Amino acid sequence: MSDDIVVDHLTKQYKKLRAVDDLSFSVRSSRVTGFLGPNGAGKTTTLRMLLGLVTPTAGNATIGGQKYTELPDPIRHVGAVLEASSAHRGRTGRNHLRMICRAAGLPDSRADEVLALVGLTPAANRKFKGFSLGMKQRLGIAAAMLGDPRVLILDEPANGLDPEGIHWMRDLLKAFAAEGRTVLVSSHLLGEMQLLADDVVIVAAGKLIRQGPVDEVLGSMGAAQVKVRTPQPAELTTALASLDGVTVAPQADGSLLISGTGAAAVGHAAFTASVELHELASERGDLEQVFLQLTAGMAGIR
Amino acid sequence: MRLVNAELFKLRSTSLWWIMGIVLLPLYAASVLANWAQYANTNAGDVSDPDQAEAVRAALEPINVATSMYTSGQYFGILILLLLAAIIVTSEFFHLTATTTFLVTPRRESVILAKFGAAVLVGVLLWLLTTVLNLIFVPPIMSNLDLGSQLGEPAVWRAIGLNLLAFVLWAVLGVGLGVLIRSQLAATLLLGIVYVVGTPAVGLIFFLLTRYVADWFDKLQVLFPPNASQLMISGTDLPGNPPRWVGAVVLIGYAVITGVIGTLITKRRDIS
Ligand SMILES: Nc1ncnc2c1ncn2[C@@H]1O[C@H](COP(=O)(O)OP(=O)(O)OP(=O)(O)O)[C@@H](O)[C@H]1O
Ligand SMILES: [Mg+2]
Repeated sequence: MSDDIVVDHLTKQYKKLRAVDDLSFSVRSSRVTGFLGPNGAGKTTTLRMLLGLVTPTAGNATIGGQKYTELPDPIRHVGAVLEASSAHRGRTGRNHLRMICRAAGLPDSRADEVLALVGLTPAANRKFKGFSLGMKQRLGIAAAMLGDPRVLILDEPANGLDPEGIHWMRDLLKAFAAEGRTVLVSSHLLGEMQLLADDVVIVAAGKLIRQGPVDEVLGSMGAAQVKVRTPQPAELTTALASLDGVTVAPQADGSLLISGTGAAAVGHAAFTASVELHELASERGDLEQVFLQLTAGMAGIR
Repeated sequence: MRLVNAELFKLRSTSLWWIMGIVLLPLYAASVLANWAQYANTNAGDVSDPDQAEAVRAALEPINVATSMYTSGQYFGILILLLLAAIIVTSEFFHLTATTTFLVTPRRESVILAKFGAAVLVGVLLWLLTTVLNLIFVPPIMSNLDLGSQLGEPAVWRAIGLNLLAFVLWAVLGVGLGVLIRSQLAATLLLGIVYVVGTPAVGLIFFLLTRYVADWFDKLQVLFPPNASQLMISGTDLPGNPPRWVGAVVLIGYAVITGVIGTLITKRRDIS
């Protein structure tokens, strides 16, 4: 059975607000898919509809071809981390996990296994109210791992994690995808996403803006850039002006950022114009730039 | 069944249950002592109104004293049970654990059913606790009142059995009301206050209605759930009261209505 996630013309209308508007995208297994969008874009609402917690106004969403609510033992198939702070304050971390084990028919010992997996063993008997934000986040991830699921869905899991924690999570999710499983993760941390995600789904104002492999999305936006350092910036700019669709942006540090063409073309133009180069480097596009470009005018709280 | 087990585990793994237990024990002791004092000091001859004197005389019959004494703790036991049952539901929303719960079990009616089951088991447990304590402490009190233990009387055992039914029905009612009210604070305050203050307040309202509007209002007092459960466990049919089965019917009616409405609401509600 495939573990792809398919979101099909999903719509959620709150009283006045269309939080999710005819949204369709798909998420493939064996890859990490980043789910990006400005605040209020409808990411959380979409994930909650996917997980059967919120009823869509129209459309539907399936995981491996089935609705979440129709999966026989859902947490053995799908693991989800939605809010970091969703445990009873007076219950210990271990008991929070055991409670899930009991309801799902998993052995209590799974609780200790996942606690070890997320590095929470020392805090297992501490009450949830004594957890730091990062510990709560880890407990959420532990809960998602209980059923050893084929599909992981995470809503801003990096929130509150320290750099080491983020690194740990990145490795965890990549390893997860490498085993052929499906990972859908929403986040605002675009730099992190660029390191983590293979595919991205970008939404704004409840609508799909772009989906595809990270490199393709960056490429399509002409996001690849060439960085040049030269003692003759004016001459180089003139030489490049003859090329179609090329823009040159002087940077504060004295270098030039050139988009719309490749390093080879820039080098050739410099050579033919006898411009001296001290540095010539292709830079991978910046997801943050592209994201801001794509969602320009659509961000903002609705 | 594994969901009921999980619900009981949820209850056991926080401090709520033993706090409630600690609250219940002194309240139980107080109600036994209060009952005792009341029966030791009341005398039908003191009451002037002949109708009331008749009612008091009936209440002082050994069998009626016995049924009341052997179900001591019902009032507070059910109060605690009502709050626990409501909290079993409201804490899921208060602590945002509803997300986790419904992710594990997307069939929400199963979750609510399990909560009904867990609350009923808690009710049975509380009934067992108060009944065992009553069977230990009440016989000496009965002999102090010169009434004998009365344990040979089937009516006593029937009252104890009906007391169990009352606990079960209130457990269902508590869960249903918890779903309907949902806010933890509102649910505990509202249920606690209505339960405690409600009986005299309702008594007063019905007294006024009966007096100034129509006599038949008096018969409607049983529609207030605490009155219904009181009536259900009384030893014999007391003069001036509807028959016992009416109390049972009223409670069952409330339990079914809140249970069904609560389940339907939970099924449709967005969890966010
Ligand atoms: N229960 C609700 N009732 C009314 N409006 C809601 C409800 N839940 C969400 N919304 C609105 O729907 C929109 C989308 O919210 P959502 O939480 O899905 O955004 P998001 O993409 O997750 O944002 P963020 O990045 O800030 O987490 C917001 O404008 C929000 O105010
Ligand atoms: Mg969100």
